Amino acid sequence: MIMPGNARGEGTRKRHTAFALVLALMNSVGSALAGEYTFDASEFARKPYELGGYVEYRHDRFWLNKNGAFYGLAFQGRGEPSSLTRNAATLKLEGNYRHGAASVRARTHLEYDHEDGSSERVTRFDELAGSWKPGPDLTVELGKIALKWGKGYAWNPIAFVERLKDPNDPELAREGFWMATADWVRTFDGPLKTIAFTPVLLPTGKDVNSEFGRTGHTNVAARLYLLWHDTDIDFVYLSGGSRPSRVGVDFSRNITTSLEVHGEWARVSDAQRRTITAEGQPRVVHGKADSYLLGMRYLTAKDTTFIAEYYRNGAGYTESEMEDFFVFTGNALLQQHTTPADELVRRANVAAQSGYARAQPMQRYFYLRVSQKDPFDFLYWTPAVTSIVNLADRSFSISPEIAYTGFTNVELRLRLFALGGGDRTDFGEKLNKRRVELRARLYF
Amino acid sequence: MKTLLAIALFLASGAFAADGTEILRKVDRNLEPESYEMYRKLVNIEPDGSRKEFVLFSAKKGRDKVAALFLSPASDKGRATLRLGDNMWLHIPSVGKPVRITSLQSVTGGVFNNADILRLDYSEEYNVQSVQEEKDAFLLALKAKTGEVAYDQLKMWVDRKTLLPSKIEAYAASGMLIKTLYFSDVKDFGGGIKRPATVETDSPLYKGYKSVMLYSQVKRRDFKDEVFTLTNVSRIDDLRK
Repeated sequence: MIMPGNARGEGTRKRHTAFALVLALMNSVGSALAGEYTFDASEFARKPYELGGYVEYRHDRFWLNKNGAFYGLAFQGRGEPSSLTRNAATLKLEGNYRHGAASVRARTHLEYDHEDGSSERVTRFDELAGSWKPGPDLTVELGKIALKWGKGYAWNPIAFVERLKDPNDPELAREGFWMATADWVRTFDGPLKTIAFTPVLLPTGKDVNSEFGRTGHTNVAARLYLLWHDTDIDFVYLSGGSRPSRVGVDFSRNITTSLEVHGEWARVSDAQRRTITAEGQPRVVHGKADSYLLGMRYLTAKDTTFIAEYYRNGAGYTESEMEDFFVFTGNALLQQHTTPADELVRRANVAAQSGYARAQPMQRYFYLRVSQKDPFDFLYWTPAVTSIVNLADRSFSISPEIAYTGFTNVELRLRLFALGGGDRTDFGEKLNKRRVELRARLYF
Repeated sequence: MKTLLAIALFLASGAFAADGTEILRKVDRNLEPESYEMYRKLVNIEPDGSRKEFVLFSAKKGRDKVAALFLSPASDKGRATLRLGDNMWLHIPSVGKPVRITSLQSVTGGVFNNADILRLDYSEEYNVQSVQEEKDAFLLALKAKTGEVAYDQLKMWVDRKTLLPSKIEAYAASGMLIKTLYFSDVKDFGGGIKRPATVETDSPLYKGYKSVMLYSQVKRRDFKDEVFTLTNVSRIDDLRK
C-alpha cells in the first residue's frame, strides 16, 4: 500500500507514538515490578505523639434458657422473652505523647449498647497514665493502669490487682485501676538472666477504685519476676486492706520449639464465700483458699494450636453449695408473686450477686481451645473451637468460631455459643442456652 | 606412614572445618553488626498476587538478644516480640502481657516464621559440618547445635567475593526441605554495612505463596542489656529516635 508522504509520516509518527506508549507502559510495569520491593523507612520516623485504636460493631443474639435459675431471677416480673438481641458499637481510642524521659498515654472506651428497647452508654478511660523512664532499668508510672499478672490464658488466679478476665474473650483489653507503680529491672549472665521488681500502691476511696474492695485503704502489691534457667517465674503479693491478703507464684517455659507449659498458684489468707442453704439461710464461709492453674500451648506442624488449662478455684462453690442455691432459687421462683416468696426471690438475687452468678462460680474447670490457621490454604481464615467444662457437674459451654483478617486493618469474627448441662448444673442453669456473636473491627 | 597420613588428613579436615566456621562468622558480621537497629518491611504474597505488608523496627544486642516492634499495619501496631536465646515472647497491647511463643510459629503469617523474623547469628545456632568450594561460592552445610533451633540443617551458598549468603535452604531433621531463602539487592547502608536489602523466601509447604523481607536504615547501635527484658518489651518504641 502506497501512502502519501504526509500520511506516511503521520502513520510513522502514530507507530512511533504507539511504540513509545508501549515502551512507556512496559517501563512503568517494569518500574512497578522493580518498585514492588522498595522500602524507605523514613515515613515511619518516630513522632512525639501517636493516635490510633479501633472502632467495633458487635451483634449478639441470645436464645434464653427459660428453665434456668438465672433466667427466673433476671426476668421476674419483666415478661418472659425467649430471645434477646443486642447491638453494640465501641470506639477504643489510644494516644500517647512523649517528651524526653516523660510520656503520657490514654486509652478511652466509648460504647453504645442497644438491647431490645433499652440502651446504655459507657464512657471511661481504660487507662490514663503518666510515665517517667530515665533508662531501660527503671520506669515509674502514675495513673489509671491495667496491669496483667499471671501466665494463664483463660484464668489468672494471681491477677491480684486487675479486673476479672472473661475466659470467653481473654484477649479483650480491660479497664485498669488508679495506682502508682514502677518497674526496676536488672540483667545478668548465667542461669539467672533477669530480675524485675514491680511495686504497686493502689488506694481505694469513695471516688477512687471503689470497685476494688473495701474503701479507705492503701493496698500494697508487688511482683518479683525472674528469668531463670529459661523459665519465667513471678512471685506476687497483695497486702490485706480492701481485699484479704494473698500470695502467689507463676511460671512459664518452652519445653520444645512447639510446646509451652505454664502454671499459677495463689493462696488467699481469709477468703470469704457467701453461701445460701436450700432453705434460704445465708452463710459466710471463711478460710484459706488455694487456687491454681496448669496449662499448655502446643503448635502442630500444620499450624493447629491447642491451648488447654485446668483451673482449680479455691474460693469457688462446691457442687452441693451450688445445688443448694439452685434448689432454693427454684422453690422461690415457683412461689413468686406471694408476699413471702418475693422476699425469697430477693434473697436468691442477693446470693446470686454475691457470687453464684459469676461466669465460673465453681471449683474445677477445664478449658480447651483448638484453632487452625489458614486451613486448606484458605489464607487469613482461622476457625477455632473453644470449650469450658465444669469438671464437677460435667456441664459445659462450647463455642465454634471463624475469624477472617484478609482485609488490611479489618478483623471479622463469627462465634456461636452452646451451653449444655442438666438441671441444677453450672452451665445448665445459665441465663442463655445459645448465642450468636458477630464482631467487626476496623483499626486505624 | 599410614598413621602420619591419617593425622595429616585429620588435621586437614579440622582446618577445613575451622575455615567453614570462620566463613560463617564473617557471614554473620557482614549481614549485620553484632548490635544494631534496623527497619524491615515484610510482604506476604498470595498465589493470586494479593499482599499483606508489615513494617517492623528491630534492635539486636550481642549474640542472642533481639526485639522487634510492629509499626504497621494499624491492626498490628504496638505488637512486640522479644527473643533471648531460645526464649521468645509476643506482647499484644490489648492482652497487656507478653506470652511465650515458639520459633516455628509466625507472628506475621506467611512463609517467614518467628525464627526468621527474630533471627540470631547463624554461628550462634549452627555448627559447620562441611564446606564445598564451588565456582563463585562456598557451600556450607550447617547443623543445628540443639533441638531448640527452628531448622535442623541449613545449606548456605556464600558468595566468595563478598562473603554474603546468596541462597539458604532450610531442612527439618527428617531431611524435608522447609523453605528456601534468596538474598539479593546488595546495598551500602553506610557505616561499613553492605548487605542484601531483599530476602525472598518460598516453601514447598506453602505452594504458590512467597514472602519478602526488605531492609532499611540498618545502623550499628549499642543498647543496655535491660532493653531486652519482658519488663521492657512493651516499651521498645522508646528506643526509636
